[in-house]
Amino acid sequence: MASIQLDRINKVYGDRYPAIHDLSFEIEDGEFMVFVGPSGCGKSTALRMVAGLETISSGELKIGDKVVNNVDPKDRDIAMVFQSYALYPHKTVRENIAFPLRMAGVPKDEINERVNEAARILELTRHLDRKPAKLSGGQRQRVAMGRAIVRRPQAFLMDEPLSNLDAKLRVQMRAEIVKLQRSLGVTTIYVTHDQVEAMTMGDRVTVLKAGRLQQIDTPQNLYTRPANVFVAAFIGSPSMNLYEASLDGVDLRLGSQVITLPDAIFASRPSLRAYSGRKLIVGIRPEDIDDADVTDKRGYAEIAAPVTLVEALGAETMVHLAVDAPWVDAEDPDAVVEGGAQRTAVGRFSPRTQLRAGDRARLAVSAENLHFFDPNTRNSIW
Amino acid sequence: MADRAPHDFGKTVINAAALLLVLSYALPYVYLVSTSLKPAADVQQIPPSFFPDGVSLENFATVIGTAGLPNAFLNSAIVAILTTLLSLLIAVPAAYVSALYRRRITVLFLLFALVTRMVPAVSLGVPLFQIMKTLGLLDTTIGLVLAHTSTAVPLALLLMSAFFEGVPKELEEAARMDGCTRFGAFLHIILPLMPSGLAISALFSFIASWNEFLFALLLTSQNSKTAPIVIAEFNSVYGLAWGPMTAAAVLYSLPVILVTLLLQKQIVGGLTFGAVKG
Repeated sequence: MASIQLDRINKVYGDRYPAIHDLSFEIEDGEFMVFVGPSGCGKSTALRMVAGLETISSGELKIGDKVVNNVDPKDRDIAMVFQSYALYPHKTVRENIAFPLRMAGVPKDEINERVNEAARILELTRHLDRKPAKLSGGQRQRVAMGRAIVRRPQAFLMDEPLSNLDAKLRVQMRAEIVKLQRSLGVTTIYVTHDQVEAMTMGDRVTVLKAGRLQQIDTPQNLYTRPANVFVAAFIGSPSMNLYEASLDGVDLRLGSQVITLPDAIFASRPSLRAYSGRKLIVGIRPEDIDDADVTDKRGYAEIAAPVTLVEALGAETMVHLAVDAPWVDAEDPDAVVEGGAQRTAVGRFSPRTQLRAGDRARLAVSAENLHFFDPNTRNSIW
Repeated sequence: MADRAPHDFGKTVINAAALLLVLSYALPYVYLVSTSLKPAADVQQIPPSFFPDGVSLENFATVIGTAGLPNAFLNSAIVAILTTLLSLLIAVPAAYVSALYRRRITVLFLLFALVTRMVPAVSLGVPLFQIMKTLGLLDTTIGLVLAHTSTAVPLALLLMSAFFEGVPKELEEAARMDGCTRFGAFLHIILPLMPSGLAISALFSFIASWNEFLFALLLTSQNSKTAPIVIAEFNSVYGLAWGPMTAAAVLYSLPVILVTLLLQKQIVGGLTFGAVKG
């Protein structure tokens, strides 16, 4: 096992825009690190540079204490699981899993022992003599994992390994990968575009956008203390509602509505007072708005907005609201904009709500949980 | 039942068209075989008969006794086998690199290979003669192998690069992560996935060399004459030995037919490669 250090890593293809820009951080020994971001953010490129499958334009990459910029992938002692699994179609499951050991010149008896052990852990023992084409998607994914764990490498690299599975299997495999990583204690980098995977699997999560690091933190901190507008909107589903607002003393003006901010907010965000009389961006998570008629309103500020759409999901009800303040774009290229130019706020309401489209809703907003961002830098105000 | 009739009719028309097509390919060869089996007296009868009145192996006996022919067959086999091996040795790695590491230069490289296929063989004959003369390779097996390889490589290159393009790049990357060098990944993982591509490229290279006439005529005279030249010599100033000529041609075609039948599975698999997602 080893730590992985990236020090001002850059990747430029030809004369074009840099794919990775000055990436610096350390992944600790045994840590499960997730790279997440929208398509084209550079997360796979960063992973492939750690793997040695992409050259590093500048900067220094260390695995353990060794600089590996110019070390061949085969000599980096790291295993990779590909999105397509990349199983060798002409080899049986046993031969697939044994292949890295065979290449490393491990004695035959030991290969057999280690392949059988990996197969037992991954419940593949019955399928060892089958070819990959005869396996289901989930089994293929396990074989790819088997090929990685059998080597006992310094680190695992996983490039969206669950994206080809159906939703149910994905949830199951997600838990299995985490369990396996915890039991083996191998440093792992896991690339995904799915923020639910990122939040549920990673010890820490690296959020990337357009080749630049946005934030590295624990999943909980990403959610509660996002560094900027992009991270705030990217983490959490549905996305945080972001509006232009202005602060007047303790009064936050959001379109025609006014929210009086509690002292606790100014205590936790001392810089916020300096924004009095200025514009700022306010972020409201869908789970911090509810129907004022059915919720306990202590600690909540009340505003009103017309309901445009109600989606009852059983355990909760998504209510779309036409807030009359200017919407702020989080610049997530993958974000699906509902309703075209007419952006609506989304609230995750209690299923007891009686609201219907067309109603004017009285909303309870958890004022203590509001997020604030500078409109110029788009960074969080703390 | 009523709606089956048009279907049957359509099927019959397709079968008839297929039969016609097969006949148009096969007829000259059937005529060659039938002529080779005619007694010497019947070969040049006027009007000619399509089928022999009686089967005779007289022409085959003459051919086998013809001085130089068995040796020419051996030369043909050596030249064709060496050409095939050398062509694949050059073309397969080159095709792999141009297919997997697609750059402007590799595209140009493939385009150039295609262009060389468009140059008429006859216009290459004279420079090739000069080159072989300078190298002292006239009338040698190696000289003819090199000449045949120069035309077989572009074909094998184009064929193999099409096969390699169907291989996901992740397979090579996975092999490299699993401890292979780039060449090791090619040898252990990629090449074993290519039996059809290799079979087709080998067969086409072999046939191209086995059947080649012009370069063999220009570059050989005594020692390394191949069978097509010796067969053509049955037509000489002393007359046209039509019967033995057809018998020799039939014998000469047998190895190719045999190899094709042996590799049938790989060839058919290869011809439909990429047609459906595997």
